[in-house]
Amino acid sequence: MLKLIRALFPLHILFLGCGGLEYSPNQVFSGDSPRNINRNSINRLNEEQGDARIRFILTGDSQRAYKDSKDLIEAINKLPEIDFVILNGDIADFGLYQEMESVNQIFSKLSRPYIGVIGNHDLVANGERVYKHMFGELNFSFVYQGVKFICHNTNSRESSFEGNVPDLAWLKQQFSPETGVDAYIAIAHVPPDDADFDESLATEYVNTINNSSNTLAALFAHTHNHRVFYPGFQKKTPYIITDPIEKRKFVLIEILDGKLKYENISY
Amino acid sequence: MKIFLIKNLLYSLLCVLLFTTNEAHAQVPEFLIPKDIVIQHAGSIGFMSLGIGYPVFKNKRGSLDFNYGYVPEGRGGTLRILSGKFAYRPWKIKISDGIKLYPANPGVFFTYHFGEQFDFYWDKDTYEDGYYWWSTALRPHISISTEVELDALKIFKTSKIKGIRLYSEFNTNELYLVSYFKNVGAVPLRNIFKLGIGLRVSL
Repeated sequence: MLKLIRALFPLHILFLGCGGLEYSPNQVFSGDSPRNINRNSINRLNEEQGDARIRFILTGDSQRAYKDSKDLIEAINKLPEIDFVILNGDIADFGLYQEMESVNQIFSKLSRPYIGVIGNHDLVANGERVYKHMFGELNFSFVYQGVKFICHNTNSRESSFEGNVPDLAWLKQQFSPETGVDAYIAIAHVPPDDADFDESLATEYVNTINNSSNTLAALFAHTHNHRVFYPGFQKKTPYIITDPIEKRKFVLIEILDGKLKYENISY
Repeated sequence: MKIFLIKNLLYSLLCVLLFTTNEAHAQVPEFLIPKDIVIQHAGSIGFMSLGIGYPVFKNKRGSLDFNYGYVPEGRGGTLRILSGKFAYRPWKIKISDGIKLYPANPGVFFTYHFGEQFDFYWDKDTYEDGYYWWSTALRPHISISTEVELDALKIFKTSKIKGIRLYSEFNTNELYLVSYFKNVGAVPLRNIFKLGIGLRVSL
């Protein structure tokens, strides 16, 4: 019997499947890698502009929480009238291709499109190139039903606080008045009061977000604790941080008649 | 500076290992002369990798290989990888006169990725101790391979090549394993076990 098992062992190739050739854990892509996930999601949203109410999910930090991510997708798919999902950074834990691929395998089971934003763990090792290949640019924006969603890189520590992250010039331009845009929402991984955010840029960053013609909210993740705060002078723009996926909570955000509401939901 | 030195040291070591083969008999002790030439496709040590091998233990069931691998840009690189591999062949099955099968050979190996984005240590000015706990350059792996050995003397009627071995090898690394054990049941095995195939020529 043992001899038979040993002789059959070469069949392990067949059992595990031939899709498993890996050149390096740090490879940027493999033959069947998904590409332009964010652009494809945005195109899908543009094709199907829905009702006047925008409802979307803010979640983040999927890093290594595959089991909880699966449950999250099930929970979101049960909610009615969700427009899209924001996965707000730390998609991967080690910046590896296989991690982003595994997370995408799970998130592509969503019935709605999702947007992946860059987190500090996604920038580790070759992660920046993996993210760019699979998801797209680090700073990008899209307009959905008159609201401009501005997704950007705030992982200052990963560029050694050199003063270029976040890119304030780009951000100012994004928040400037534009036809067809009634409101703005900022989306990034590291919140401006965190130690991983470049302190020298924090005040100007908050002002850029708050001083637009109409910013509804700024959305973050990273701290692993749900929190809402109102930085700046006027204290009117909510900065909302989501819990990580492993805490099995997310934020449901709704915009109707120019007003934003949010709710923390457990699953 | 320290990292730069280590990288250069490893690089020089590789050059020494690769080029001090047969021509340099006089200067090199016998045990340093490689007995095997190894060429491998995939298996997490490069799109293609080339290396030298040494049989270990009296029964020669162990092997120690040093490979240099390359991933071109069009295959998800550019990456340059140095690996040191050890494997042991506990079982041998005689298929026919000139063919032997080593069905399941466990091993361990380490890879080192060259390049600015990969480091032994995290920059102490930027990161507190333990901010990230793993190394991006140095990666430990465990492996299991299946190998078929062809007796060159009997099959190819030559005494210059002593043996030819074809193998397939699965490996995983510590980062894939911690992801797997945190999510038992949710991560398919094929997401963490990665395949490579290779050819070992014994001289």
